[in-house]
Amino acid sequence: MFEVFRITLKGIFRDRVFHGILVAAVLLPLVPSVSQLSMRQVTELSITLSLSLISFILLLLSVFLGGTSLWKDIDRRYTFSVLSLPISRTRFLLGRFLGLAAFLLLAALVLGVVACVVVSITAGNYPPDRPVVWGNVFAAIVFDALKYILLVAAAVALSTVSTSFFLPVFGTIATMLVGSASQQVYEYVQSPAGEKLTPLLRQCANALYYVLPNFSAFDLKVNAIYGVPLSGQGTLLTVLYFAVYVAMLLLVATVLFSRREMK
Amino acid sequence: MAANRSLPRPIVWSVSAGILVACYLALIFPFARYLHQKPVQEKLGVVPKAEFLQLVSADQKQLVAEGLTLKVLLYFGTLAEKRNNELQLPPDYQAMSRLLHAAVKLDPYNMDDYYFAQSILVWDVKQIKIANALLEYGMKYRTWDFYLPFFAGFNYGYFLKDYPKAASNYMRAAELSKNPLFATLAGRYLNDAGQSDLAIAYLNTMVLSATNPSIKKTLQVRLEALKKARSIEVAAAAYAKATGIPAESVEELVRQGYLPEVPRDPYGGKFYLDPDGKVKTTSNYASPVKKTKSAPQ
Repeated sequence: MFEVFRITLKGIFRDRVFHGILVAAVLLPLVPSVSQLSMRQVTELSITLSLSLISFILLLLSVFLGGTSLWKDIDRRYTFSVLSLPISRTRFLLGRFLGLAAFLLLAALVLGVVACVVVSITAGNYPPDRPVVWGNVFAAIVFDALKYILLVAAAVALSTVSTSFFLPVFGTIATMLVGSASQQVYEYVQSPAGEKLTPLLRQCANALYYVLPNFSAFDLKVNAIYGVPLSGQGTLLTVLYFAVYVAMLLLVATVLFSRREMK
Repeated sequence: MAANRSLPRPIVWSVSAGILVACYLALIFPFARYLHQKPVQEKLGVVPKAEFLQLVSADQKQLVAEGLTLKVLLYFGTLAEKRNNELQLPPDYQAMSRLLHAAVKLDPYNMDDYYFAQSILVWDVKQIKIANALLEYGMKYRTWDFYLPFFAGFNYGYFLKDYPKAASNYMRAAELSKNPLFATLAGRYLNDAGQSDLAIAYLNTMVLSATNPSIKKTLQVRLEALKKARSIEVAAAAYAKATGIPAESVEELVRQGYLPEVPRDPYGGKFYLDPDGKVKTTSNYASPVKKTKSAPQ
């Protein structure tokens, strides 16, 4: 499994898609200049822009590397040669996932360090009303990475049943949109305005809320940008939710991949 | 045979490239001019409902909110002419207000929205109650920020004449900022006195903290107008105290030596004393609106 993990990481660094996405990171040094457009919160805007760019880059990496990695292995019949070696399908799949997850964490940390330099330059030139809470900025980047690792787990699960490029890529994008909106939809259904909906629709929305991934808990941008205190219990619950949900997705992916007929 | 008769490829490519570059050059300048002259209302555009934006902006809500805010700022900036503080077009305040409301729904912590609403929309549109509702919404989130109760307190006192609410907001600002000035202002509101001095103190604070050139200039002009009105008030009070009768006009105050000259209204109006002895101006402290040809009727 470690060999697959190592090969996955190595493969990503050689991937042209990765090089293309990396170009987006050159926008980070421009953040201090763009942040000056704000009237009252230049440093806060620099944190907003940095975190948004990191999140966008991680999303692209999750969709175009996470969503296509396993599918490409199957499409190019790479799996035939690998699985003829003494390695189980489960170990192959987990190795691939762990390689992708480690890469996302590494990318988030590297981008995070650059973002911290950018934000500290801005904060030096335009001191904010409240000091930057670096712990919250770090937590926001780490939780962003966790969110995209969860998304990669969903992408891997979709890849195990897909015979084309479309399901893993568009399925991953749809999962991202649904996961980001599920909390708001749930709150709308629970509100007085939601009472106008039919009982069946409300029950379906409630059921989906508990089944679909919920990414809103991983979004700590407000805490990072405005120094709003983090909830210790909330972060712990989010980490546990991440671990359990990823484990469930990988279990489903493993079962499906083990039963898949390789042609 | 046909291939032999045709021109060599490098020549064909060069000629094609030349024609395309010429077409591009012929097009790009009128195209850029068209975009530059496009009415600013069109540039502000239509924004979907905040609830829809919340759904589709996924984890980029703060970025989308800041985008809306900057759109309003740039729109206002293009309207404010550099000379004479005249507005080129009647600004679409409703659209600006809509965008700001959508922005605070996406990111209720964004100070730029509250600051812009207070700087421009309150004075020019006189939608004080809407502005205060926006500020009170912001206070629920920006619990550490003294600016929001400071703005709300000023609006309650200066515009709405609701002195108890003004005082309670100033007290809140004093608690948050630890600045005794706000406690003093709260005390003055409780006594219902010194309105012009309060407005000058308020605008001084706003000008000092303004970083956007358009906003800063707008506030400076307003501050200058209020300071001039205040100088007439002081002169009129001195005249009334000395003579026992109120002054009839600003010119009389100049003739009697209470004012060195008739103060010039930076908005282009003329200061006068109303029958109650209060200082007024024909501009009503608002910029004259100059319509341009591109303005939709």
